[in-house]
Amino acid sequence: MLRNSEIHDVVWPRAARQMEIAPVAPRLDTLEGKTVAQLWDYLFRGDEVFDLLEQGLKQRYPTVKFVSWKDFGSTHGADERQILADLPKTMKAMGVDAVISGMGC
Amino acid sequence: MLRASAAAEKAGVPSSSLVCEGFIGQAGTTSVGLGLPNLPVALVPGHVGTQSDAELSENVLGVTLDDVVRNLTEMPGEVATVEDPEPREIVFSGTIDEINRLFIENEWSDGLPIIPPTAERVEAFLAFTDRDPDEVLAILLPDSRAATVWSVAVNGVMAGCRPEYMPVLIALVEAMGDPDYGVEHSGNTPGGETLITINGPIAAQLRFNDEQGVLRDGFQPNTSVGRFWRLALRNLAGFLLHKNDKCTFGNTWRVVMAENEPVLDEIGWPTTAEDLGISKGRNAVSIARYTGSNLIASATGDTGEKMLPFLADAVLKQNTWQLVFTIGTSPGTLRPLLVLSPILAKTLAKDGWSKADVKQYLYDHCRLPAWQFERYLGEWTDHPIRDLKDQVALRRAPKQFAESDDPDRMVPITFRPDDFMIAVSGDPLRTNAITFAHNGILGYTVAREIETPAGWEEKLKAAR
Repeated sequence: MLRNSEIHDVVWPRAARQMEIAPVAPRLDTLEGKTVAQLWDYLFRGDEVFDLLEQGLKQRYPTVKFVSWKDFGSTHGADERQILADLPKTMKAMGVDAVISGMGC
Repeated sequence: MLRASAAAEKAGVPSSSLVCEGFIGQAGTTSVGLGLPNLPVALVPGHVGTQSDAELSENVLGVTLDDVVRNLTEMPGEVATVEDPEPREIVFSGTIDEINRLFIENEWSDGLPIIPPTAERVEAFLAFTDRDPDEVLAILLPDSRAATVWSVAVNGVMAGCRPEYMPVLIALVEAMGDPDYGVEHSGNTPGGETLITINGPIAAQLRFNDEQGVLRDGFQPNTSVGRFWRLALRNLAGFLLHKNDKCTFGNTWRVVMAENEPVLDEIGWPTTAEDLGISKGRNAVSIARYTGSNLIASATGDTGEKMLPFLADAVLKQNTWQLVFTIGTSPGTLRPLLVLSPILAKTLAKDGWSKADVKQYLYDHCRLPAWQFERYLGEWTDHPIRDLKDQVALRRAPKQFAESDDPDRMVPITFRPDDFMIAVSGDPLRTNAITFAHNGILGYTVAREIETPAGWEEKLKAAR
């Protein structure tokens, strides 16, 4: 039986985090001449958003190139784990310098 | 989406994540769990789903574009992270009122009073397992926390479980960590809630309710183990409302459903656990996330032919947008659930129907026109995969979805008859059923055997 006057020593209820904090990748000095990959989870009008970003980035950086989301497949759902596991070698094979990933909505 | 960005960053490639306005906070907390607290995001104002083409263009070119350029060309600032206590650390000494206030303030509680997790109470739970208290059962996203036997016991205490429930709690957290289940999706916006089903002799040994009112709070094992599940999602995985748990509405945890195994034995139908690969007679828990349920009242008829059309109609109507889990980015992962009261199951069995027969009936009769199925994928939910024939051609769907060009052709809602789940529970003598719409790959149906400790029955007797 618990009494409100009784003092209890309670332990922390959470589990310990396991992920080591890591730095993000070095950034690019410019997008001029660089190859940008579009990674999409096939949700929330990402196809339209990528088209708009591609158009806007090309206006600012005329030599920027893109690898379409169609070349990767959905980064959400049944194929996610395999696509992300393969991503380092896929990006290397495609000469990818930077990634735009959507959509978080 | 952030997991894809994290994979790129860890491979040395800079990223920019596109995040709608309402999800910026979630992106921040999720990034910590991915080990990249300063993962840069580009703001997409508002929500794209309600914007005209012109508004979307204005927002993306006027706001998002600058963020993307900055994210890819400027190093993001450092983000301070909070140091956690050690898992066994005594974090507070106080009265039950003070402890409950502290736990609510620190988001360690669900808002209801908790039983104080003292070392003594935790040890009582550990007496009901032969596992090492420090054994890691699973690393759980989104926080990437290591759920140990110890931490399971702590949350079992808090939930109001009895110590002898410990084997069930361990199996549940192992199931939560099953990659097929996909715990990382537990904070998604539809806010589905997990239904736990328990099978085997342990259900009766622990006095789970398996009959009238099975899904209502009122029986300690059903209720407290259900509450444990959500506390585990909170404290062991890291799903917190207004942070990583982005359910639009959500609902309270579901109490555990025990199947009526004497009836299943009597009619010769396999249990839910057996359907999921667990041997007959073994103790097991099964989990799956469901986005909602609908009660089917007063099914009538002394034969399957009379009774099943009504049940199939209700199962079909419960599944609308969820069809994106049948065709789309997680093909073939929709597993609708129909729970029959014992009298309905017995009537069907008496008329010669096996469980497999009922599943086949649901597969054959829960059908809708192809054009309507495609409308759920495209026009109404804006998914890019919309054409059933294309999916069949790409071998991402079985041929039953494209048997002709007729848009009025009737197509099934699952890939296979066996994708339908059927359970037997509830009031033995009432002719009702209940059906649940499944959340597909975002909480796929998995089962885990429950491991009892040596001397289980003696320990259980001593605990009573």
